[in-house]
Amino acid sequence: MIKKKKFYLTKNRLEKIKEEYKKFKELLRFKTQEETPTLLHSDDLSSTYLSFQEDLNLLKKRIFELENILKNAELIKIPPKEKQDVIGLGATILVEMDNEIDEFTLVGTIEADPSNKKISNESPIGKALINKKVGETIEIKTPIVKHICKILKISY
Amino acid sequence: MAIKKFKVDITEFSEKEKILFEKLILAAELIDPLYQKQKNERYPGANFYPHDASKEEIEQTAKKNPKILDPYTFVERNKSGKLIAIPFHKKFRKELKPINKLLNEAAKLTEDSYFEKYLKHKAKSLLRGRYQESEIIWLAKGPCKLSIVIGPIERYLDKLFFKKCAYQAWVGILNKKKTNEATKIKNIVLISQRKVLPESKKIDVAKLAVRIDKSAIFSGLIADFMFTGTSLPNDVNLIEKYGSVSTVFETSLDEKFGKDQFPIFQAVFDKDFQKSYSKEELYEASLRCVLLHEISHALMYYKDAEDRLKDLFPVVEELFGYILGIKCCGPLLLKGVISQKELEAILIMHICRNFTWWLDSLKDPDVSVYATGAAIAQNFFFREKAIKTKEGISWPDFTKLFICVDELSHVLEYHLALGSYQETKKFIEKYGSFNIFSQFSKQLESVLRK
Repeated sequence: MIKKKKFYLTKNRLEKIKEEYKKFKELLRFKTQEETPTLLHSDDLSSTYLSFQEDLNLLKKRIFELENILKNAELIKIPPKEKQDVIGLGATILVEMDNEIDEFTLVGTIEADPSNKKISNESPIGKALINKKVGETIEIKTPIVKHICKILKISY
Repeated sequence: MAIKKFKVDITEFSEKEKILFEKLILAAELIDPLYQKQKNERYPGANFYPHDASKEEIEQTAKKNPKILDPYTFVERNKSGKLIAIPFHKKFRKELKPINKLLNEAAKLTEDSYFEKYLKHKAKSLLRGRYQESEIIWLAKGPCKLSIVIGPIERYLDKLFFKKCAYQAWVGILNKKKTNEATKIKNIVLISQRKVLPESKKIDVAKLAVRIDKSAIFSGLIADFMFTGTSLPNDVNLIEKYGSVSTVFETSLDEKFGKDQFPIFQAVFDKDFQKSYSKEELYEASLRCVLLHEISHALMYYKDAEDRLKDLFPVVEELFGYILGIKCCGPLLLKGVISQKELEAILIMHICRNFTWWLDSLKDPDVSVYATGAAIAQNFFFREKAIKTKEGISWPDFTKLFICVDELSHVLEYHLALGSYQETKKFIEKYGSFNIFSQFSKQLESVLRK
């Protein structure tokens, strides 16, 4: 059996996704009930109808995506104090890597935004750091890049 | 003549904007004759210094009269044979007046009050020979729809001292979507704190803005060099206090990629290897090379580097920009910002860009600064067998290439941060041989003929 992909989300993000889903469902209902343009103009499909269908398809696609996320969502929970010395989702980590000091928070793929210091747990660095502790030095290796990374601080 | 015009779409401009745009283009065109009077490929000091003056004589005179090595003066001999400094704005007053007029007229047409202020100050600065104020305004304003950078700016013509600024101008239209994407990359690269070499006089850049422009015209030096990106201002004191703007010239890159970089890729690399990368992937990689190069400049300003390395400074600085830009791809890959294949494409395009600078230097010796840097990188790669070659056809070893990039970045950082003139000279002499390129002459015949 194929294992379904889990989507790790913060409470805040999960709420936002629920809101977005609700909004799009409403929009879909409104579009299909009230807005349908004339289907045929002579023998050809009218451009208004085509554009309407295109919008509708995009909307349905997004609703399907959101449904999938909500079905497989798992809330990121802050671990109890005694377990906060281990890197898990939601942890903010200070590392030294290749002569640079870097700080970021480990999040699920959906919330990843490296320009705002949010790194995916599925990225090479995310995969390598999960379950590691302060003071550990690990090697993060891809076929091209290899970096030594020292964990300086973990906070939740 | 050094004027290069690019096709840009201005159909969405209002009538007023079209007139304003036209005035900026005209002002830019008028810069080229000034540049032509500065340029002279036969002399390392171009026409900035008397051709019979030795480096020592200029240095000696500059001790008593600092204006001699001022970035904005010509050095001439007076009737008694003594070296004197003549400011550009005095020598070119007649030529600068119509440019001033066009910029003032353009200022009246814009509805962007900051752009208006900038244009007025820029117009004034050209006639007064005081450029800082307009540069500060330019640095303070956010990315506006139109951009014009005009005046004596780049120092590459002065191969004697790397001091005198050559005239150039460009006019560009902001590509908002790509600028937003580029800003995200910039934020990721600048997010981490780099360790600084002890005792170096590194400065922190006040702020860095990036913009991707569809350039409409290059005039003066920039048209000769056909830059695909640039970071300004050049004055480290201004950068420290007010920041820097990195611009990527999309239209120039389109042309360079289509005419040189992609044909080089097809000529140099193994045919089966080529199949793994689409033209679009390689174009994107080339754009990233330029962007990361420009962003990297913000990580490598040292207060004393120009005075310490003199004419060698631009060789090290420009190469370090490229190398550090690629090195930054390491964290980008590990953080999931770019994929393995995208990094491979960036490394491939860096190699192709190295060839491009060599080919450009064959046509215009003034760009030798870039070609020398490119040769250093290429020699490093070949020495470490990061590129394997058989009968002129190559296969890169990406792992080794990235290790080379890392090693080279440490070496270049040392030279820029602390290296003496003699040390850096030795390093450039050791690795800067163009033979590394000329062995590919046969494969590159079709590109050379263009």
